[in-house]
Formats: sequence, C-alpha cells, structure tokens
Amino acid sequence: MPRFRHFLSVLPSLLACAGERPSASAPLVYYESYDPRSLDPALSTDVPTGEMVTLAYDGLTRFDVNGRLQPALSDRWTTDPRGLRYVFHLRAGVRFADSSPVTVAAVRQSFLRVLDPKSTGGRAWPLLPIGGARAYAAGTARDVPGIELLGDSAVALTLEQPLAVFPKFLAMPVASIVAPRSGVRDVETIGTGPWRFVSWAHDDALRYARNPGYWDGPPQAESLVVRIIPDQLVRAAELEAGRLDVVEVPFGETAAWRSRHANWLQEKPALRDVYIALNNRRGALRDARVRQAINYAVNVPQILATVYGGRGIRARGAIPPSLAGGDTTREAYTYDPARAKQLLAAAGLAAGVTLELWRAADNETLGRVAQAVQSDLEQVGIQIEIVARDASSQRAAARAGNADMAILDWWADYPDGDDFLFPLFSSTSFGPGGNYAFYSDAVTDSLLLAARRTQDDAARERLYRAIDERVYRAAPWLYLWFPVDLWAESPRITGWELPVIFNGQRWTGVRRATPP
Amino acid sequence: MTARLGRRLLLVVPTLCGVLVAAFLLLNVAPGDPVQAMVGERADSATIARLRAELHLDDPLPVRFGRYVLGLLHGDLGRSYITGRPIAQDLAERFPKTAQLALAAMSFAATVGIALGVVAAVRPGGWADRLARLTAYLGVSFPVYWVGLLLVLLFAVTLRWLPPSGSGGLVYLILPAATLGMRSVAVLARMTRGAMREALASDFIRTARAKGASERVVVLRHALRNALIPVITVLALDTGSYLTGSLLTESIFAWPGLGRYVLTAIEKRDLPAVQGAILFMSVLFVLVNLFADLLYAKADPRIAYD
Repeated sequence: MPRFRHFLSVLPSLLACAGERPSASAPLVYYESYDPRSLDPALSTDVPTGEMVTLAYDGLTRFDVNGRLQPALSDRWTTDPRGLRYVFHLRAGVRFADSSPVTVAAVRQSFLRVLDPKSTGGRAWPLLPIGGARAYAAGTARDVPGIELLGDSAVALTLEQPLAVFPKFLAMPVASIVAPRSGVRDVETIGTGPWRFVSWAHDDALRYARNPGYWDGPPQAESLVVRIIPDQLVRAAELEAGRLDVVEVPFGETAAWRSRHANWLQEKPALRDVYIALNNRRGALRDARVRQAINYAVNVPQILATVYGGRGIRARGAIPPSLAGGDTTREAYTYDPARAKQLLAAAGLAAGVTLELWRAADNETLGRVAQAVQSDLEQVGIQIEIVARDASSQRAAARAGNADMAILDWWADYPDGDDFLFPLFSSTSFGPGGNYAFYSDAVTDSLLLAARRTQDDAARERLYRAIDERVYRAAPWLYLWFPVDLWAESPRITGWELPVIFNGQRWTGVRRATPP
Repeated sequence: MTARLGRRLLLVVPTLCGVLVAAFLLLNVAPGDPVQAMVGERADSATIARLRAELHLDDPLPVRFGRYVLGLLHGDLGRSYITGRPIAQDLAERFPKTAQLALAAMSFAATVGIALGVVAAVRPGGWADRLARLTAYLGVSFPVYWVGLLLVLLFAVTLRWLPPSGSGGLVYLILPAATLGMRSVAVLARMTRGAMREALASDFIRTARAKGASERVVVLRHALRNALIPVITVLALDTGSYLTGSLLTESIFAWPGLGRYVLTAIEKRDLPAVQGAILFMSVLFVLVNLFADLLYAKADPRIAYD
C-alpha cells in the first residue's frame, strides 16, 4: 500500500509530460478542422488546403492579414489602359526549396498544370480569364496563347475580357508558382514559401520547418506544426492546456471566454456573409414582394444578438462593410410584421404559404438561426418546413434549384466587392457558380461587367455600391449578417494577427513569447 | 474443427458480396455529388462535366459496379476522388491507430468490467455490487460525446495530467480508451455478474467446495471459467465494432483512425473511399467473429466443433 501511495504521489509529475513546457524553440502550433486535400496547389479547393498551400508557396501576388493586395513573386506589374493585358515582372533572386531559381518558364508551367485537362483539381477558375485558358482546360487547344514570356524576367497575361480584379485572382492558392522539377505525389510539389514541408501524418499533424532563405525574411520561429482537430470544444481545451497557439472561440463559449480570457481575444469583422438564399425562380418566391415581406418579417437584429451571440454585423447588402462598396447605412428592411403582411396580401398570399428551408444538419448554430426565422415567419402566415440534411446534400439541392430557401454562408476568396456580387448575383453563375438564389437581372448583369472593366478604384466602388443597393431592393436573399470573427491567441506566442482572409496569415512574424 | 472453419470461411464470401452490393447501391443513390465537393464553391458547368466524365460518374450503374469489382479482383481499392491517394494506403495508415485504440479500450473494459462483475457476484448487495450497478447505469446511459468532453475538461484542462487530444505516446491513449471502453465496462460488469451468480449456484461449485478447494480457486478457476462464455461473446462483438473505428471517440480526441477517415469520406461523397473502407471493415468484423467462435471452444471444451 505505501508503494501504491508513493506511485499516486508521483503520478501527476509522470503525466505532466503531456503539457510540454514552452521553450523558445518549441514549434508554433496551429490547427485545421479536417485533413487538407493535398499540398499540391492545383488541388487547392477548400480552406484547409488553401492555408497549407499558403505556408509553403507564393503566387505572383498575395494578401496581407488585412486583405490588402501585395506584390509577391512579382515585385511590380503594369496594366494596359483597357485592363486586358497585364505584365508581371519577376522578383530577382528568388529560389525554390530545391534551390532552382524562379523563372518565367516556371510561372507558365505552374499555370498550365492547373489548367491541365487531366487535373482533378476542379478549381482553375482564377486562371480561366487568361486568353485561351478555357480551350486548353477543355482539352481542345494545346497551348494557352494568353500566357506570353517576355525575356527572362517578365510574363504578360492577356485576358479574354477586361478584369480589373485579376491581380487578386493570382493571389489565390491555386495560382501558386511551383518548381518545374516537382514530383508526382502531392507532397512533392516544391514552392518558395516561408515554410518548408517536413512531414504529414494524415488526420493527425503536418510539420513545417522555417525556410531560412525566404525572400521576405525567414519566419521568426524555427518550426510550425499544424494539428488536425475536428472538435471545436476540444480545440479550445487544447489552447487552454497550452498545446495550441490560436483557436477560434466556439460560439457556445463566447461569454465564458470574454470574461475568462479577455486579453487573449482578437476580434475582426470577417469577409463572410450569412444569408438565406430565396429561390427567385420557385413558386411564390418569384414575386419580389414576397421576398421583401420575408425580409420585413424576420427580426434579424434580435436573432443576431441572441442565437448568434452578437458575433456579427447586421447586413444591408451582400458586400461586407470592411470592403470598398460595403454599406451598413443604407435603409434596411426593418422588422415590421404589419408591412410584411401587407406585401403578402398584395402578392395574393393573404391566406399564407408554405415554404421549405434547407439547412445543413451539422451546423448547429445556423440550425438554431433557421428555427428562429421559422418562428418569425409563422407570425405573418408563412409556414416554414425545415429540411435538415448533411451539408453536401443541402448544397446539392440548393445548387440544383430544388430548395425554396437555404441557409448558407459565403466566404471571400479574394477581398473585393466583386467576390460578393459577381458569383452571387450574376445570371452566369447560377447554382454551382454561387448564385443559389437564381437571381437574374439584365441591368445587374451589365453593371457587374462594367465594374469588372473599370480600372479606376473609386469608380468601381461606386458601381459596387449601386449594384449592391439594386440587388438589395429586389431581395433575392433574406439578408442576415456579416460574422465577426473571434479568436484567442495563447499568451505563449506573440506576433499573430487574425487574418481577414484565409490566405492572409503566413506565420512569419509569430514567435514564442519570452516567459516573464 | 478444420471442416467447421472451412465452412465458416465459405460463408464469409456471400456475406461480403452482399455488403459490397448494398454499399455500392446505397452510396450511389444517396444525394450529394462527389464532383461538387471536389470543385468547392463557384465552379463552372464545363469543369463539372469534365470531371464527371473523368471519374466515369455518368456511366450506367452496372458498368460502374463492374469496373469497381474488376479492380477489387485485381486487389485494387482504387483512388480517392478527393485526394487522389490510393485508398488501400489510406486504410493501411489508419488501421494501426484504430487497432491500438480498440485494444486499449478492450483491455480497459475487460479488466475493469470483469473484475467488477466478479467482485459484485461474490458478495451480492455489498459495496462492490452497488458500485458495479452504478457504473453500469452510468456507462450505458451517458452519451460518449459528453463523457469524452468531461474527461478532457477534468484531466486535460483542470488537472493538466493528460493531453486533451492527439496521438503519440501511451498518455494519449488513456482518455480515448476510457471513453470508448466505458460502455463495454458497463455491459461486461452486468454480464459477468449474472453469469457468475448462476455459476456459483451450480452443483459443480458445491462439489468443488466440498472437496476443500479454496474460495479463490472456486471463484476464479471453476466459476469464472464457466461464466466466461457469454462474456467472450460480448467482448468479441465490441472488439469487432471498435476495430472498425469509432466515429465519435476518434473525432473528440483527434485520433487519426478509420472512423474519422470514413466520416470525412462520407461528408465529401468520396465514393471509392467509403466503399473501400466499408469493405475493409466488414472483412475485419467477420474475422473477429470467427475468432470468437474459436475462442468458445477454448473456454468450454463441451462446445465441440464436429
């Protein structure tokens, strides 16, 4: 028995190895919620993959943590007055992880492998505006004439149509530049990024080491581990246990963390929309008055404050307020059930109507939002049947136009008003393209194209604002809110800033905090 | 014995064929499209059409099934639609982790469960019996997810004795194994207690006592051995289900096993990955049950395999 008691007394110290002590050389620890698809930029379709590609590769351009466009492997670029031809000049002296130099040929080859008709990436769209890229991707052409090498240090990209935001497209992970000698397996692609891939235990962790020769200055920490942790509460526990360096605060924990760890928190409006797409081509929802009535009938500020923990900014349009063109001052659909009833009566629906609202079963927070919306709409005679399916089935139904309403979120690919208008409201992007509301308006379409042609930023911003206003009045969505991200940074590190866009954080300025 | 084994093995073939057909049909009539998961948001219809053709998704179902079976006959489980990696390699990477967790959970459950059951049976109504009953109620009625999170909070966040999640040394096994084995502890304790009570009341126990055997010998050698048959059945069934991956436990503890692999594959509609995993799990399950059958004979020689 004494021996057993002795064992008990040393047990905590035996087990303490679990919570490793912070040392200056201990790796930084980040996380993804599921295993990335690949480390090959050509297969970068989702956020985890995009973030991992961002660590190990660079594109010609890139975003900083605040979503501003910056030069990367191209240190400067010029545009012709029509916005059709871009010339990107390569930064001198940059080398890939295999020591080979970054050349214009590597740029061309990187783009061609993404556009390769045999690629199963499926996300070549940032490169498709280049002249001839579509035909090449379809397998009907053997070259992309829009890519032109100008000597040893510049690449000219000629587009099919003017596209003012094209340099932002090139900051997407899929447009990363990879070494020509890259291998065939996904982990064998070689980049120029601040971190070098070391190992990958699937569903467990990815390990990176600092690239000492990084052109923008090597990362301050020696190594970075990215753990795969699916459960949000466990991630929060990992941070509290000192084994994870940053974490998104789980919704249910918002109040607790605000009081317990106030000085760890970072908060930033996200480039993201939470909305309910109303299928503009289906039944009663074809009538704009019905869609407007839905916007009047739902008490959005109250649902935001209660169900969503106040973690958002009420939307009066689709463009987030931190982007040029975003507007939170325009006249909103204020909560007005009487007005909603009038509009419904005018549309001939005084007797009421039944609609299906599709939600993703695994998203509990949005599920509760759907219930709150259901209860508000019931007050004005709109019966909502909530259809809960797994995310994949919900998206499939919404994309095929088989859902009356679908509660969704939209994440920015590139920080620009265009990303919150063109895919969401152009009649060329119905369904899988992003227009889940099947909103179709010739004037909106032509304004969207005009904005894409407009080089002047101020003029483009005016156009974005006008388009957003026009669409808002037509109410293709039940507009909800722009989420505000709430993350915690462990006191064990310094220098990390919450990025507004997933590929805006490279972890180069982050290091272990020196113990007090 | 050998003949029986051979017959049982032969029966495995139609079972697996059934699993193969059912899994293929179910997956292919379920809504959701793997190509949509591959391309993510904002895809154009040309890309979607090209990828569907590339993956032969537009071929008639029988043709696709035939192609899949042909691959299987060549020992090829195919490649994941999403990652492009060979599925056999994915499964081979995950299975050892799942096996490790299953073994730890079963060892925990067998040791604690059987011990509790024996102690409870020896003195019915005593403190051990009451503890065993409480454990059984709690173990069966508490949801795994909740218990897992509670253990994380207590041992990882508050006491900081154990890591909350992840994989590595033995310390990483403790919480997931306890969480996963919890239900089995409960069931085993009740089963063992019942079987032991029955055994202890039998004639042969009276005979053993009459010939002067010590209580330890009576309980452990005579009663427990006879009580073990139903216990082995439960153990085998649970081992079979643990070996095929445990979705919740693996997700809570970020354990890189089969359960999470299948979950991700289902979410992404990664058809060949789900099919491959189901097939693999079925083979495992069948083999474990076969093994349990053979164990019966070891525990009780009266079960004769003609």
